[in-house]
Amino acid sequence: MEAPLVWSASIILPVLVGLAGLGRKKPGYWIAYASAVTLLIPFGVILASWSSGSVASPIVDTVKIDLSRYKIGMFQLLMDGLSLPVVLGISIVTGIVAYYSYKYMSVRIEEMEAHGENPPGLGTYYFLYNLFAVTMLGMALSTNLIEFYLFLEISLIASFLLIAYYGYGDRRKISLLYFIWTHVAGALFIAGVLYYGVKGGSFDVLSYSTLQGITYVAPAVSVIGTAAKIAAAAIILGLLIKMAVFGVHMWLPYAHAEAPTPVSALLSPNLIGIAGYALARFAIPLFPGIMKELSSYFIGLAIVTIVYGGLVALRQDDFKRFLAYSSVSQMGYLLLGIATLTAFGIGGAMLHYLSHAIGKAVLFIVAGVFITELHGLRSISRMGGLARKYPLIAAAALLGFLHLVGMPPALGLWSELLVTLGVVKAIPPVSADNVILVATALLLAYGVSAGYAFITMKRVFYGKPREDIPESVPDGFKQSVVLLAVLGVVFFLVVSLIIVPLQGSAETLARIVLGG
Amino acid sequence: MIETSGLILEANSSLMPWSLIWGIPYLGAAILALLYYLGYKNEKVFAWGSVLSIGIAAAIAVDALYQVLAKGPIYAASSKPWIAWLNVGIGVYLDGLGAFMAVIVSVLSFLIAVYSVEYMKGDWGVQRYFFFFTFFVASMLLLVTADNLVLMFVGWEGTGLASYALIGHWYTDEEDKWVGVPGRKALGIPMYFTPSHSGVRAILFTRVGDIGMIIGMAALYLLAGTFSIPALAAQASAGGWMVELASKGALTALLLVFTLGALAKSAQFPFQEWLVTAMTGPTPVSALIHAATMVKAGVYFMLRMAPVFLLGAAVSSLVAGQLASYFTIIAILGGITAFMLATMALVSNELKLILAYSTASQLGYMFIGVAAAGAAISLLAPGEAASLGVVAGLSHLMSHAIFKAALFLIAGWLIHVAHSRFIDHMGNYAKYMKVTAVSLWLAGLSLMAIPPLSGFFTKELTLKSAEEAHLYSVLALGVITAGLTAAYTLRMILRVLHLPPREETHAHPHEAPPLMLVPYALLALTALVLGLVWPWFSHDVAKAVSDTLGIGVSAEEVLTILQLHFTGVTYTTLGWIGLNLAIVYLLYMVWKVDFVKIIRENVTARRIHDFLYDRWYINSIIYIVIVGGFAGLSIILGGIDHIIDLAYHAAIPVLFALGAAGLRALHRGRSDYYLMLYIYFASTLMLFLYLAWR
Repeated sequence: MEAPLVWSASIILPVLVGLAGLGRKKPGYWIAYASAVTLLIPFGVILASWSSGSVASPIVDTVKIDLSRYKIGMFQLLMDGLSLPVVLGISIVTGIVAYYSYKYMSVRIEEMEAHGENPPGLGTYYFLYNLFAVTMLGMALSTNLIEFYLFLEISLIASFLLIAYYGYGDRRKISLLYFIWTHVAGALFIAGVLYYGVKGGSFDVLSYSTLQGITYVAPAVSVIGTAAKIAAAAIILGLLIKMAVFGVHMWLPYAHAEAPTPVSALLSPNLIGIAGYALARFAIPLFPGIMKELSSYFIGLAIVTIVYGGLVALRQDDFKRFLAYSSVSQMGYLLLGIATLTAFGIGGAMLHYLSHAIGKAVLFIVAGVFITELHGLRSISRMGGLARKYPLIAAAALLGFLHLVGMPPALGLWSELLVTLGVVKAIPPVSADNVILVATALLLAYGVSAGYAFITMKRVFYGKPREDIPESVPDGFKQSVVLLAVLGVVFFLVVSLIIVPLQGSAETLARIVLGG
Repeated sequence: MIETSGLILEANSSLMPWSLIWGIPYLGAAILALLYYLGYKNEKVFAWGSVLSIGIAAAIAVDALYQVLAKGPIYAASSKPWIAWLNVGIGVYLDGLGAFMAVIVSVLSFLIAVYSVEYMKGDWGVQRYFFFFTFFVASMLLLVTADNLVLMFVGWEGTGLASYALIGHWYTDEEDKWVGVPGRKALGIPMYFTPSHSGVRAILFTRVGDIGMIIGMAALYLLAGTFSIPALAAQASAGGWMVELASKGALTALLLVFTLGALAKSAQFPFQEWLVTAMTGPTPVSALIHAATMVKAGVYFMLRMAPVFLLGAAVSSLVAGQLASYFTIIAILGGITAFMLATMALVSNELKLILAYSTASQLGYMFIGVAAAGAAISLLAPGEAASLGVVAGLSHLMSHAIFKAALFLIAGWLIHVAHSRFIDHMGNYAKYMKVTAVSLWLAGLSLMAIPPLSGFFTKELTLKSAEEAHLYSVLALGVITAGLTAAYTLRMILRVLHLPPREETHAHPHEAPPLMLVPYALLALTALVLGLVWPWFSHDVAKAVSDTLGIGVSAEEVLTILQLHFTGVTYTTLGWIGLNLAIVYLLYMVWKVDFVKIIRENVTARRIHDFLYDRWYINSIIYIVIVGGFAGLSIILGGIDHIIDLAYHAAIPVLFALGAAGLRALHRGRSDYYLMLYIYFASTLMLFLYLAWR
C-alpha cells in the first residue's frame, strides 16, 4: 500500500519541532507535547492501518529518492511485518519518553547549572532528542544499505552529543568512548556495504511494488561471488558490535548508564535492537548461506550473551548500569531468535524488540524517577522498600520486568514462546541428547533472566522502607511510565495485530535461507 | 484399539457463558486495579467486589458441572484465533475433569474470599491483596478450563505471578511475618525467610519448571501442529507425535522436560523448598493457593495429560515402554516427596509449616495416584490405567483441597489468637472454641485417612494405583507415610487443642467471628459428609472421568475400579496408622514425654531432630551448590568483565599512547636526525620503487 508522505512526515515533523526549540533556554511545555505527538505519528499510522483491516500489507511512502544512476539504488521508506514491531517500539517509546523528558531534563539542567556547568538549554535537548528518535525510525524504514547508514550516522552523532552535553559521571570521556566504539562498528558496517555495493552495482536490499509486494535482491554470493564472504564478515561483525553481544559489549554499560536517563531509555532498547533488526532485514537475505553456516555458533553466542549479561548485571550496584547489562543479556534473545533462521525465531526476535523496548524503557523511566525525586539515587543497595512510597512505580516496574522475563500479562510471553519454537525447530527433539541440550541451554538462559529480574525487584522495592523518603505524588511525569507499561499489557492481548504481518515477513526470510 | 468416543474435537457450545468462569474474575481484578489507580481505596468495595466476582464464577462453574454430568462435555471455542500465527484460540473445554476442577477452585475461592474479608480487615495492603486474589482465581480457572496448552500456560503463569505477589504481600518484612526461627542456620545457611525473600524463591523455583513446560509445548506444537489438547489427544490415539518421538528414543526425556512445570508447581522433590517458605503469605492465601488450588495445578496437568499420553501407548508398544519409564520416574518422585515432607512435619513447631509439609506430602500421593496408574500400562489396558489414575488423582485432590483448606483457615485463626506462629505458644484451645475444635478434628481425621472421612477413601485409591503397577517401593513409601501423617496430625491437634501451652502467653482465646468461622466449619463438615456419601458420590466422579478426553472407558468400568475392595494393603495401612496414633497418644497424653529436654540432652536425638527440622539440609544444599554456584559464577564473570574492560579501555589506549610517544621521540628538533631520517626513508622508498619498477 502506498501512502503519501506518512513516513517522510513522521521523520521531518519532529525535527521541525526540534528546530523550533533549538537554542531556547527553556521552551514551554508545548515542546514536550509537540514532540510526543509528532513522534507518535507512526503509531497513529499503524493504528489506522489496523482499523482499516489491512494489517498484512506493507506501507510505503510515496517519496522516493532514485539514485540508481549513481549505482546507489533507491531510497524508500517502507514498513512491513518485519519492521512493524520495530517501528511500533520506536514510536511509542520515543513519544512517551519525549513527554517524560521535560521534567527530567529540566531538573537535570538545573542541577548541572547549580554545579557551575553551562549545558545547552532544553530546546537544544529536544532538537537532538527528536533528531535521534527520527533517525532510528529512518533506519527501521530503510530499504537500502546506504540509506540505513546515513540514518545510523546521524543517530550516532545526535546520541553522542546528548551524552556529551547532559550525561553523568565522566561524560566527556564516556561520550567519546561511545562515539569511537559505535564508529568502529559503523566503519566495519559501511566497509562491508561498500565492498558489496560497489562490486554489485546497487545498495538496494528490498523493493516494493504494488503488484509483487516486497521482493528481496538475490543473495550476494550470486552477485559478487565469493567476495560476499568478506562483505558479510564486515557487515555482520559491525552489527554484532552495535548490538553489544558478549565480547564486544564493553562500551554499552558506560554509555547507557551515564547517558541522561531519557536518552538511556532510547539507547538501550531501541538503538541497539536495531542492529538485531538489521541482521534480519539485511544480513539474512544478502548472506543466507553464510548465516546458515554461522547459525549454531550464533546460537551458542546468544546463550552465552544472555547468561553473561544477566549474571554480570547481578553484580552491579548502580541501577542504570544494571539495566545496561540487562540490555546486553536481552540482545542475546534477539540474536538467539535470528540465529535459528526459522520463521518463528526471526519473528520472535522482532517481537522481542518491541517487548524489550517497552520493558526496558519502563525500567529506565523508573530509574529516572528515583534520580529526579530522590536526589540522584541510583545505588541499588541504598534502595529497598520503595514500593511502600511508590506503589504505582513498583507496579510498572514489575510489568517491565515481566516483559524481560517473558511472563504474562506482558507481551514478552509471546516473543519468548516464538523464540523457543524457533530454537526447538532448529535443534529438533530427534534424540534424547537434543532434548537435554535444548532444555539445559534454555533453562540456563531464561532462568538467569528470571533470576536477575526478581532479585532486583526485591532489592529495589521490597524490604524495610527508608525513613527519609517522602510520599510520592502521582504526577504526569510518573503516569507516563504507567501508560507505557499498560500498553505492553494491551499488546499482549492484541498481539495478533502484530504477528499476522510479522509471520508473512518472517516466513519469507526463512524461505530465502532454505532456498539459499 | 482404544475408543476415543468421548473426545470432542468440534465446539458444541458458544463461548458465552462458559468463558465468563474466568472472564468475570479477570474483569473484577481489572476494575479493582482501575479503581486503585484512580485513587479510590474503600476497603469494603475491594473486598466484596472480589467476593462478588468470584461468587458469580462459582455459580457458572456449578452450572457447568451440572450440565456436563447431565449432557456430556462442553467445548466452546472462539471462531477467530487469539494468537493467529500459532492458531491459538480462546477455548473452554469442560469435560468432567475440567468441570470438577472449576467447581473445586471457584467454590473454595469463594469461601476463602469471604474469610479474607474479615481476616484482612484493616491491613495496609488490602486493596492489593484483593486485586491479586481475584487475579489468581481468574488465572486458576483459566488454567483448568483451557482447551489448549497456550491458554493453559497463560493461566498457569498468572497463578504464579499472583502467588509471588501474595507470598510477598507483607513485603516490608517485619519479623512476625517471617517463616522459620530467626537466627537459625543449617550448614551455615540461614533457615529463616522474609516475605520478600520467599516470594522470589517461589517465583524462581516455579519459573525454572515452567521453562521446561514451554519447551515441551513448543516441541509438541512443532510435531503435532497444534496446541489444542483434544487435537493432541486425537493425534496421540493415531500414533502421531508420540510414535515419532518414541521412535527416536526421545519420548521419555521430552515428557520429563514437559512435566518439569508440573513438578515445580506442585512442589515435588526436588522443587519442594519454595512451598515451605511460601507460608509468609497471609493465611487465607496459604489455604487457597498453597494448599487447595494452585499447587494442585501440577496434579491437574498430570490428570489432563496422562490420558493423552496413554492414548499413544495403546497404539505402539514402543511408546508404552518409554511411557512406563516416564510414569515410573514421576511416581517415584511422588513417593519420595510424600515420605520426605511427612518426616519434616513430625518435628516442626510452626503451625503453618506443619501444614505446608503436609501439603507437599499429600501432593506426592496425588502424583503417585496418577503416575503409578500410568506406569501400570503393561499390566492394565490403557483405558483402565488412565481412568484409575485420573480417578485416584482427582479424588484425592478434591478431598485434600477441602480438608487442607479447612486446616489452614483454622490455623489462620489460631495464629491470630496466639499472636504467634509457633505451636508451643498455643494450647488448651478446645476449652475456648468448641466449633473450631470440632472442625479441626474433622479435617485432621480426614488428613489422617481415618474411615469414614473422605481422606480415607481417596488415599486408598492412590495406594491402589501403586499396587496395581507393582511399584512396591512407591507403595511402601506411601504406606509408611500414611502412618507418619497420622502421627504428625495427631501431635499437632493434641498440642493446640488439648495440651496446655508450653510457653506462657498473654493470649485470650475465643471463638472466631462468623465470617471466618463459617467457611472453615463448612469445609470440615464437607470432609465428613463427602466421606459418608462417598460410595454414591464416587459414581459422579466416575461418570465425569469416563469421558475425560475420550479415554474410552464406560462409567461402569470405572465404577468397578472405584469399588471398595479392601486388600491386605488397606488393612496394613489402617493398622499402621492406628499404631502411630496410639504411640503419639501415649507419648503426649499418657507419658507426657518432654521432647525438648531429650533433644537438648541427647546428641543422637538432636542430630535426628536437626536433620528433619532443617529439612534434610536440602535448602542449605540448594543454596550452597546452586545459588552459591551462580553467585560465584557471577563474581567470576564480573571479574572477567573487568578484564575485558581493561583490555579495551586501558590496554589499547596505552598501546596507542606508547606508539605516539615512540613517534614523538623521533622528533628531537635536531637537523642531523631529520636529515638522517630523510635519507633513510627516501632511500627505502626508492628501493621499493626500483623493485616495483623492475
